[in-house]
This record gives sequence, structure tokens and C-alpha cells, in this order.
Amino acid sequence: MGYEGDLGRSELGELRLLHLADSALPIGGLAHSLGLESLVAAELVGVRELPEFLRGFLEEAGFLEAVFCRAGFRLGSRFLAVERPEDRLQSFARDWLALNERLGAMKPARESRSGSASLGRNFLAVVGGLGDFALVREALRVSKGEGGLIHHSVAFGLGSGVLKFEEDRAVLAFLHSCAAGLVSACQRLLPLGQNAATRILWELKPAIVEIMRRSAGCSVEDAWCFMPLLDWGGMEHPALAMRLFIS
Amino acid sequence: MEFAGSVAGIEREAGVALLERPHMAASLRLDFERDLLSGQTVLAGSHQEPPLRVVRAFGIGDGAALVHLHNVSGGLLGGDRLKLEVNVGADAQVQITTSGATRIYRPRVGTAATLQSNEIAVGPQGLLEYLPDAMIPFARARFSQRTSIRLADGAGLFWWEILAPGREARGEIFCYESVEFKTDLLAGGRLIAVERVRLEPKKRSLGAVARLGAYQMWATFYICRAGVAAAAWMDLEQELRAVLGLLGRREDSLWGVSTLAADGLIVRCAAKRGRDVLPGLQEVWRTAKWRLYGRQAVVPRKVN
Repeated sequence: MGYEGDLGRSELGELRLLHLADSALPIGGLAHSLGLESLVAAELVGVRELPEFLRGFLEEAGFLEAVFCRAGFRLGSRFLAVERPEDRLQSFARDWLALNERLGAMKPARESRSGSASLGRNFLAVVGGLGDFALVREALRVSKGEGGLIHHSVAFGLGSGVLKFEEDRAVLAFLHSCAAGLVSACQRLLPLGQNAATRILWELKPAIVEIMRRSAGCSVEDAWCFMPLLDWGGMEHPALAMRLFIS
Repeated sequence: MEFAGSVAGIEREAGVALLERPHMAASLRLDFERDLLSGQTVLAGSHQEPPLRVVRAFGIGDGAALVHLHNVSGGLLGGDRLKLEVNVGADAQVQITTSGATRIYRPRVGTAATLQSNEIAVGPQGLLEYLPDAMIPFARARFSQRTSIRLADGAGLFWWEILAPGREARGEIFCYESVEFKTDLLAGGRLIAVERVRLEPKKRSLGAVARLGAYQMWATFYICRAGVAAAAWMDLEQELRAVLGLLGRREDSLWGVSTLAADGLIVRCAAKRGRDVLPGLQEVWRTAKWRLYGRQAVVPRKVN
């Protein structure tokens, strides 16, 4: 099944982007708290702290993931523009592995790193099943062959680039799905009702837009993240006596 | 009147000279090798530019060499460009510490941030233990540190860094303007840890629950040995988690440990008091060194 040209900016493209960013996409997105479960268990984050925590999360980890999402997107777009397909795959594979290796090295907590990789691999597999995408196939093949991880933000970016979505829209969608995932996790971890959760996610949207914009001018070499408490949460998670989430 | 005017003129000229002290650009390179006859690690060569100084290497237990890093100007001044290069030869064992806390002073208006760059290479089966005292950024300090660490096959690393919130006794908590860390750690040519940290307390509150929350001290400890199997790191992670669980109350400090992508693990600490950090790091170091090398961790003697 081929892909029908440049539908990225059309209504159909917008619908497809919404679909891929939806928490209902079967990639396991609802199984990960990214270390938040430990923070809640240690009573470091409660309902009252949640809005501030989520804003901080977007400013730090969200920003980092947005930069790498863009890098994945640009990697896909760049190689799609090359004329000779057989020439592009080898250098694509090298850059793809390096990008994921770099992001993995920036995730100190083992379970959070694995969680991101699980989501990334599953996401790319879903996209690979939606059409005939040589870059997606190659990304999956070379990562499996080299034992490399596929991180969610990078995979989302690559898939969005291959599907020719608009870059900023793709980053917005990814950030929103991250924030929505965390809010959903909090509804299971905390006494957070539906209306309150909706309001929190609603009020995060200006921050999401700001982070999307700020990520545009940052290279993966310079992307910053400082979340020592969430790092601790991810590191501590394996030791929790009772766990609702995989990470 | 004329005399007084002259004295005032001299004082004004001296004041201007002080304000215009040239920024320091200096480097310190240390090359360590293992003497094949004696088995002792020696400081085989060095290049030292003031204010950076190493007096000599001291032999410590089991053939390792200990050096103390000195900055004879008393701390890091605004606009300074300092470089540390350490090469640990094959089979050499090196311990590096500081003579005291690293003070990062505020720069003069219009002066660039202080820049410290570290280039570290550990050769095959070599071992580097980098165990400095805390960094204390003064109010309005601007500091950037870039560190690149390369580990060859079988090379080992114990590397910690401790960041204080400021001069706590003077009530300076997160009063610095900016502190940045850029760290790249490679083992066998593979990136196993990357840190990009930018702390700008006025722009993004460090007391926010997403960052340090109620804690003020922050420490990172890398424990690596290239070539050790993943299963061994998982075992060590569990062992260290048990050690960290005994370090005190969570209200006072949080300690976390996790395996890296390969060849090592990382320990992170967020603490309310400085005095809780160093003992914890030393406890982790003792356990990890025994597990990885079958040897005791020797706490460096300090010289003043």
C-alpha cells in the first residue's frame, strides 16, 4: 500500500497525526509513568503539586524529547529527499543508530530508558504496518541487528517525517501525548478526578506550544534536561513493593 | 591639595588596573604511567600553567598514585578559561582529588562566564578515581564545565561531582546566575552517558518539584569498567540500592542508582545538607570498588 504524496498538511494528514499521537494507539503508552509512580509513593508529588510538576516536566524532559523528535523528523525528511535510495540507507542507518544512542545515554534510569525504547519500537512497528516505508523498515531492521534501542520521541519524529506531516505540528502532537500520558498515569496514582485532570491538561497547552517553539532552534548536542527528582523516581522504581506501571 | 590629588589619581589608576586584570587562560596536563619494574603508577609527565598546579604524586596502597589539584588563585574567577587534561596509561591507577571545595566567584560586569574543560582518557585496564570536593558557586556566578571522558577496553572509572547551592552559611542559596555541565562519557567508543544540565535559578526555579524540590545539594557518581557484563552491573545495582537504602531518611536525602546503557552505572543524590553527601558517596565507592576490583577504596589524604 503506497502513501499518497504530500497529504501531510491536509485535513487527512492532521487526522492521521492525531491518530498516531492518541493514547489509544496500541504501543503500550499507558503502561509507563516515567518514574512518577515512585515520586507519588514517596509523597514528593501529590495532586496539589501536579500542575507545577507537569510544567517543569515539559520545560525539562519535554524540551529534550521535542529536540530529539525534531531530529528524527529531519532525519526522515532528509533521506526522503535523496535521489538514489540504495545510497541513502547506509548513512541513514548510521545516523539513526547514533541519534538513538545519544538519547539513550541521556536517560540515566534504566527502566525509563527501556520504557522509552519499548514505546519507540512499538510505534515504529505500527507505522511500518500502515504503508510501504523503506526508511521505517530500515530503522527497525538495523536497530534489531545492532541491538540498538529505538526511543519514542525519535521514532515519532521519524514516522512523522516519513508520513510528511508538518514538523511543528508533529512536535506539538508528541508533547501533548506525553503530557496526556502523565496526566492519565496520575489519575491512577492519585485522587485526581476526570474534571480536574481535564483542566490540568487544558491549562498545559500554552506551555506545550512554548516548548515546541523553543525546541526548534536547539541541536541534539545542546539539548538540556535537569530533573533529578524524576531521575531518582525512575531509578527507584524497580524497588517499589507494589507497582501499577512498568516504569 | 596637589599631593592629595596625585594620591587620589594613583588610587584611581590602581583601581582601574584591578578591574582590568586579564582573564586567565591556563591548562594542566597530567600523564600517568605504570612503571613496569616497580608496578607503581607515576606521574610520568605534566604541563602546568598557573594558577593550576599539582605539587607531586603520592604513592598510595596497591601501586596507585594520588594527586591533589590546586588552583593557587583560590578559586575560579569570571572569564577564566581553564583546561584539565588527564591521561591514564595502560594498567595505571590514579586517584585525583582537590585540596578543598572549588569556589566559583561572581564575574565582573560584562565578563564572560568561567569555563572549565576536562579531557580525560583512561587506557586499557587503567583506573581513574576522580574524587573532588564540592563546587560552590557564589552569588551571581556564571560557570560552564565541559567534560569528555574516554575509557579504553577494561578501563575503570569512579567519577563524582558535587554541586552546592552556594555559600549556605551566608544564606546564598541558588543565588548564582548560571551553572552548566556538559559531560560525554564513552566506553570502547560508545556513548554510555551524556549529561546536559543548565541551571539558571532566576529563570527556572531549582526549588520546583520537577527539579530539586526541597533538596539543595546535587551529586552525580559514575562507576564504570569497560567490558564488564550487563548481568554483573544489574547485580551491583541491586547491591548498591540496598546500601543506599541505609543511608538515611528520605526527608534528608534521596539516593538513586541505575545501570547505564553499558559498562557502568550511575548514582544520583539530592540532599538538604552537604554533610550527608560525601559519606554516602564514599560508602557507594567502597562497595563498588570491592565488587569490581576486589580492593579497598582508600579515601584520599588531603593536603593544604
